Amino acid sequence: MAGMSARVEARRNVSLGTRAGRGLLIFIAIAFLALLLIAPLGAVLAQAFDKGYETYLQSFTDRDTLAAVRLTLLTAAIVVPANTIFGICAAWAIAKFEFRGKSLLITLIDLPFAVSPVIAGLVLIMLFGVRGWFGEWLQDRDMAIVFAVPGIVLATIFVTFPYVARELIPLMQQQGSEEEEAAITLGAGAWVTFLRVTLPKIRWGLLYGVILCNARAMGEFGAVSVVSGHIRGMTTTMPLQVEILYNEYNFVAAFAVASLLALLAIVTLVIKTLVEWRADRRTG
Amino acid sequence: MAPGWFRNPSILPGFGLTLGFTVFFLSGIVLLPLAALVFKTASLTWEQFFAILTDPRAVASYRLSFGAALLAAAINAVFGFIVAWALVRYEFPGRRLVDALIDLPFALPTAVSGIALATVFAPTGWLGLKLAATGVQVAYTWLGVVVALILIGLPFVVRSVQPALVEAQRDLEEAAETLGAGPFHIFRRIILPAVFPALLTGFTMALARGIGEYGSVVFISGNLPFKTEITPLLIVIKLEQFDYNGAAALGFIMLVMSFVMLFAINLVQAWGRRGQVTAGR
Amino acid sequence: MSIALDQVTKRYQAVPVVNDVSLKVEQGEFLVLLGPSGSGKSTLLRAIAGLTEIDHGRVFLHGRDVTHVSARDRHVGFVFQHYALFRHMSIGDNIEFALRVRKVKAAERRARRKELLKLVALEGMDDRLPTQLSGGQQQRIAVARALAHRPQVLLMDEPFGALDAKIREELRRTIRQIQRELGMTTILVTHDQEEAFALADRIGVMHQGRLLECGRPDDLYTRPQTRFVSTFLGAANLLLGYRMPNGVRFSSQVTTGEAVPREVVAVLRPEEVELSSGQAQVRSNFVGHGEVEEVLFSGAVERLRVRMSGDGPVPAAPGREGQPEAGSLLEVSRTLPEQRDFPVAAGQRVAVGARRVHVLPTPISSFTAVADTESAARVLHDSPLLSALGARMQTRVATRIGRGELAPPGMPAVATGPGSAQAAEWQLRHGAAQLLCVPSTAPLPSHVIIHALDAGARRAAVPVAASLLRHIAAEAVYLGIHPAVSPENDRAAYMRDLLDTRSAALAEHGLDMRTELRFGDVAEELQRELAAHGNSMLILGTPDSDHIDWAWLGGLLEGQPERPVLIVNAARADRAPEH
Repeated sequence: MAGMSARVEARRNVSLGTRAGRGLLIFIAIAFLALLLIAPLGAVLAQAFDKGYETYLQSFTDRDTLAAVRLTLLTAAIVVPANTIFGICAAWAIAKFEFRGKSLLITLIDLPFAVSPVIAGLVLIMLFGVRGWFGEWLQDRDMAIVFAVPGIVLATIFVTFPYVARELIPLMQQQGSEEEEAAITLGAGAWVTFLRVTLPKIRWGLLYGVILCNARAMGEFGAVSVVSGHIRGMTTTMPLQVEILYNEYNFVAAFAVASLLALLAIVTLVIKTLVEWRADRRTG
Repeated sequence: MAPGWFRNPSILPGFGLTLGFTVFFLSGIVLLPLAALVFKTASLTWEQFFAILTDPRAVASYRLSFGAALLAAAINAVFGFIVAWALVRYEFPGRRLVDALIDLPFALPTAVSGIALATVFAPTGWLGLKLAATGVQVAYTWLGVVVALILIGLPFVVRSVQPALVEAQRDLEEAAETLGAGPFHIFRRIILPAVFPALLTGFTMALARGIGEYGSVVFISGNLPFKTEITPLLIVIKLEQFDYNGAAALGFIMLVMSFVMLFAINLVQAWGRRGQVTAGR
Repeated sequence: MSIALDQVTKRYQAVPVVNDVSLKVEQGEFLVLLGPSGSGKSTLLRAIAGLTEIDHGRVFLHGRDVTHVSARDRHVGFVFQHYALFRHMSIGDNIEFALRVRKVKAAERRARRKELLKLVALEGMDDRLPTQLSGGQQQRIAVARALAHRPQVLLMDEPFGALDAKIREELRRTIRQIQRELGMTTILVTHDQEEAFALADRIGVMHQGRLLECGRPDDLYTRPQTRFVSTFLGAANLLLGYRMPNGVRFSSQVTTGEAVPREVVAVLRPEEVELSSGQAQVRSNFVGHGEVEEVLFSGAVERLRVRMSGDGPVPAAPGREGQPEAGSLLEVSRTLPEQRDFPVAAGQRVAVGARRVHVLPTPISSFTAVADTESAARVLHDSPLLSALGARMQTRVATRIGRGELAPPGMPAVATGPGSAQAAEWQLRHGAAQLLCVPSTAPLPSHVIIHALDAGARRAAVPVAASLLRHIAAEAVYLGIHPAVSPENDRAAYMRDLLDTRSAALAEHGLDMRTELRFGDVAEELQRELAAHGNSMLILGTPDSDHIDWAWLGGLLEGQPERPVLIVNAARADRAPEH
């Protein structure tokens, strides 16, 4: 995923066609996007406020919904820092050093993008489910991972761990190591070099990766759906709550919760644009 | 100097620590669970395995998952290219906004896009109504699946093609200025070759994503066995029925598919890179 | 002494990027490491700083062995080609970085910062960001930053490479001034010879990982020791000359005197060439006639190319494929007064003289493939070994059909096989100082065996071996062979002798070779050693031709027809001349 490195610049153009052709292309592009992106967003908002503002707000007073929100926040609070640390470590190892097996490592990091989220949940059940590898071990100790919060956290980690790493790796590779080498000749140790030289360089990419990771962590559905057991009030996250409400035909409530998530997505995009804009101006 | 598997000629610190943690993390989160799946599958006999895989319901689901993903990725390749083209080459009001919106399917939770699409294309929905007038039904059919997969695959193609187009843009200006080349010539010689690998990469990524997609699809597809049931859903159903063998076998085959796709993506990317000497970065 | 390197070697995937470099830099000295790209100079500099680990050898800073000390603790100042300033810190913070790391107090840091900004003439820039400064300014800040912690040594890696010419000159002056003021031991790496001359107290010339020569700029310019240095530092015409009792003669027509004149490689600098209308008008040593082919530049210095006549001096470099053996092309440069005295134009015939010529002490000047028939000569000339040697050593390979009256000047090469012993004997008896026996399919050797039949022969053979091994990647072993029945005390003496040989070879000729003591018959031992390695070659030092046992030599040559043998004849070899 290109992430930060996809710059959008309309240059002074060499005309490749007529003005009409241009207009047509733009029209097609916009129409396509409108159908695909705007319409669904609009639908979310329309359905959420279908029965009025009051009903909309009432949706959030439901106990189960509140529990779902809490669980989602808790999950994100664990998953995002863990993945951030992973991402920084992986990017440092990959960008600054040469070693055999590096491409294998990078491929492994890309894995969650190609694997269905359902598989993520499935493998956790294979591992920690009642008939899984650690199933008996867990039962003896009266611990549960699957159909409980730990499973949800693990499933979310599986699906979202690449985001920070994939943002940082090309960025750090592009930036090179000369500044770090300079810092070392000046007497700096590992931590000082990282904190004062590397971190400032990567801060915007890091921020974007973290935000994206957060959005995905809060919004993960497939993997969590498999592992959670759908126990209302205890193991439902916001996306799962949306599903439950929708299947009960409680459309307003479902879309109300969905609207929160959509808002989160939009905020993510806004921050991303801001970050790109800032980074653009900074490095010139 | 210690030769061996890990050579570290750089004097920067932290190699052991960062690599160690990375490997540890990956092993625990990825390798271990995947190993469990593989072993579980391996515990089946060949007959059992084949029986599960060739079960008519499963086969129907493959056709849907793979076929719809293929079609969606192809449509994305075309329209995604157009969108990327418009974004890179033209100035129009709201361009920045549109560009930011491209990432929406990426950032939006799949459940949200799922119910949103289901609502829009339902027979009573905004678009569903209009389409019903022309006799086309999208929701609860395989078409719905395709639409959903187009949505989630779009960013892959656009974001893959954009940087390539920007690169080609530079060469384009130079060629036009110094050689007076005609527009079709420029398109064919400069733009297409530069963009094709990126387009292929985006296509493959969208395809890989589409095969495994769950959340966006299950609301709009209707989930009728043999008709509109995707393979991931079949796995979930088997799990709910405690048919762990079945789930494992199907999961295994999907995993293999994922690896094949990953491999293909890597190949395409490497192929795309081989032409670049020092193209930009 | 400030910096010492001992046999530093760095390999990258089995290829030595820095090959066995030893060097000493005095306190306060400004040393410039000069060389083309890929010569290993940057790698060497980074090795000194600790930014690159080495595979062999040791690095000393101020008497302390820092080979295994991390870059952090070496206390050096390093300036990068692309500045490597911390982009997100202000100039002031950049400079203070080294002090912050050492937990120096704020007030002291500030004082030092001001001091350094003054030193590089950039006062007041404290709060700017690096991107707001020009390239030259950024590099000055980089220097200031590198000096903040008062390092004992300053290392600069092509610091002016990214800047344009005018700024480069300014910065050069600034650096020189700072260096003198602070008395700082400095090593600067560059590929720009002009820069090296402007800055250096001493220049170390590097090529393909080796430190070829190290000395004062004027010494290296007027008295280079190798072909590479003579052509890298300024332009040079490399010609084959013939040592006569009263100097060096260039004519390739060797007038038949008593003996084959000793062939040498002579360096004739373009500015030492004199042009005149005729031989009688030439005031310096007459070289030959020629025609002006090109006048390249007119102004303060006029640069010309003069094509010498076919019987004029022979260029020392290998001829290009397919070109007819025309006369050599001389580069000439003349000052305005010279231009006024004798203006020339393209196409004009001139007489050429040489005011000053420097003879390189390289023992191998050229090869001549000698055979009886044209086709045999061609096969020999194109053999893999001979063509590779010619290319690697940048040495001419000529051909001669038939024997003539005397051995050709330079090193004759004959094919191995039947008749080679006889051919060898003839060449050595008729004046050849060296002789190469070339098998038709042998490639460059990877294993070189050196042996000398007596002490004099050894003194002759070692420099030749050293010269050869400088250009090929091979391991060298010197065999001391003594009769099987030797008393104990003699054995100890032989051992000592070998060790002396080894250290003398290293010290005087830079040749690092293994030594082995063998007992038995000389021919047998040599043949056994040659057979034991694929791709081996023998360098044999023999006493003068009157004392050679020809039958024995013939037996040796014909016993191993697939291995090349280089024979060095003691009596004909003489010491490297000063000129």
